[in-house]
Amino acid sequence: MNETVDMSVDFAGLELANPVFTASGTCGYADELADFMDMNALGGFITKSITRKPRKGNPTPRIVETDSGMLNAIGWANIGLERFIEEKLGILGSMSAAVFVNVAGASIGDYVSVVERLAGEEAITGFELNVSCPNVGQGGISFGTDAGQVAKVTAAVKKVLDSRFRGNDKDGRKVLMVKLSPCVTDISVTARAAVEAGADALSLINTFTAMVIDIEEREPVLANRTGGLSGPAIKPIAVYLVNKVYNEVAKKNGIPILGMGGIKTASDAIEFVVAGASAVAIGTWNFVEPGCAVKIVEGIKKYCADHNIKEIKELVGALKAG
Amino acid sequence: MTDNGAGSTKGVYEAVVCSNKQIGRSFYRLGLEFSSVGGKAFVEARPGQFAQLDLAAAPLPSAEAIPEGLADAARRGIILRRPFSFCDVVRKDRKTQVEILYCVVGPASLRMKGLSGGDKVSVIGPLGRGFSVAEKKRHALLVAGGMGAGPLVYLAKVLTGESSKMEVVVFAGARTREELPFRRPLDEISRQLGFSLGEFAEYGVKSQVATDDGTAGYEGLVTDCFSKWLGEQNLPARDTIVYACGPEAMLAQVAEIAKDRNIDCEVSMERRMACGIGLCQSCVVECKVEDSNESVYKLCCEDGPVFDSREVVFSS
Repeated sequence: MNETVDMSVDFAGLELANPVFTASGTCGYADELADFMDMNALGGFITKSITRKPRKGNPTPRIVETDSGMLNAIGWANIGLERFIEEKLGILGSMSAAVFVNVAGASIGDYVSVVERLAGEEAITGFELNVSCPNVGQGGISFGTDAGQVAKVTAAVKKVLDSRFRGNDKDGRKVLMVKLSPCVTDISVTARAAVEAGADALSLINTFTAMVIDIEEREPVLANRTGGLSGPAIKPIAVYLVNKVYNEVAKKNGIPILGMGGIKTASDAIEFVVAGASAVAIGTWNFVEPGCAVKIVEGIKKYCADHNIKEIKELVGALKAG
Repeated sequence: MTDNGAGSTKGVYEAVVCSNKQIGRSFYRLGLEFSSVGGKAFVEARPGQFAQLDLAAAPLPSAEAIPEGLADAARRGIILRRPFSFCDVVRKDRKTQVEILYCVVGPASLRMKGLSGGDKVSVIGPLGRGFSVAEKKRHALLVAGGMGAGPLVYLAKVLTGESSKMEVVVFAGARTREELPFRRPLDEISRQLGFSLGEFAEYGVKSQVATDDGTAGYEGLVTDCFSKWLGEQNLPARDTIVYACGPEAMLAQVAEIAKDRNIDCEVSMERRMACGIGLCQSCVVECKVEDSNESVYKLCCEDGPVFDSREVVFSS
């Protein structure tokens, strides 16, 4: 019965086997989850943030749990572009899932140089611009909450990609996705800025800036003082914001949304799809139940079969009008 | 050196609770049993390795059994797994039994206390690098601070296993007698012979006890007790190894003592972890880069939790 459901997704011109991704920063660089799941069961995979130079990241404590969620302040700890190319591209190239590299930087030049270096790599399907990380001093959320900056960094990266693939060479063209911060008054403003500057896809939401206080010490638990709130606690807000961006920006521009924020079950994922996401990403729950992405793919399939939905695409934005 | 467990097969397993006993006033030992399922079994875990327990679905103890100081914690929900090392591992037929020493400090360990025989717990493990079992050394000195005794009990068992010629001594410290995480002390004769702690006496391991307030054994820090004892012995440095688990300030002190005497030393570090399997990057330990002034962050969950003490930059 399940076999009759077409789970494939058209995502900015990519044909994905299914709509389930693992989200940046929760699934390592490549095959760290392979002990727990078949990586080829994924529709898409997003690497942790890659910066031009290696970064140690923030001091500890870097995480703290909250009711139904967690705060993290890792600070873009990563091995840097060169080691990433040397050690991880080979493994990424062997994966059947679409591979997005999450790119981060303190300046537009940083983003550009990472993308320039990776744009010709076959192993990579596209880029996710991290303009929404709340845990770094420069770049990150300071870009993502300013629509003008979002437009600038998106346009600069788009220019790099366009200059490499003039004409109709669609095969080698990389998909440009911009990851939006929810820490703004109106997320449609930044979404529109990204789309007008050339984004092929939008991913949302990144985490919410948040704080947990140790009341004995009367200081924040995290060494970075603040961190990004993720997990089931943020899911209903994420669903709302995906629906808002879908209605106000994405639908009319034909731009797909990768929806994320607190997904732990297939029903959670389906909410995002109904709200307007063409695909979904699993984040925090990879920590609790590594391998849950596979169960979520199966669960979505079962829901479709049970509801006589032949193609998952039918469900995208299927929310009834109010 | 034998395998420290770094190559063992990790996975998600379902364990069945076989015991959950209180020890002394504030400590507990949880027994879990793993059966092999479809040829895959929770393979033998090495001393110092750990597992991630999913306690979110475990029942809270009854209202009366919740300590007053944890009333607020009892009302908190949890989502993340919690890391625990093993104080014993037994392979029997096709089953593996492990024991975990814990104390009740927050919302997760409260739920752990609520577990009873037959309950099921999802466990990811065995994880990380454990202690290296230095078979060629003659003397092993174990230094435990409070709850740090857990993995050292299991290490003592492995170090004194069949055909072992190693002499093992443990130094266990806590603030007060009540805070020593052990069963009832042994009788007076055993104590005079140096076998104060039953958990270690079982393996023929002599013990020295230190309490900050002097309510048991040496009055003062376990590191002072350890240092004083070392000064009185004449152990060949090359033939000796120190293993330590406890608060970071204690580990730093033990590392210093070992370094001064040129003795190898391994320390088991503790960090907040979300995943335990190298995904979240939250559990970093600052480590020196050889022959340089630089340092790098290594992951407590994968590169540790046991580190060579010379490598670690302890946080003050």
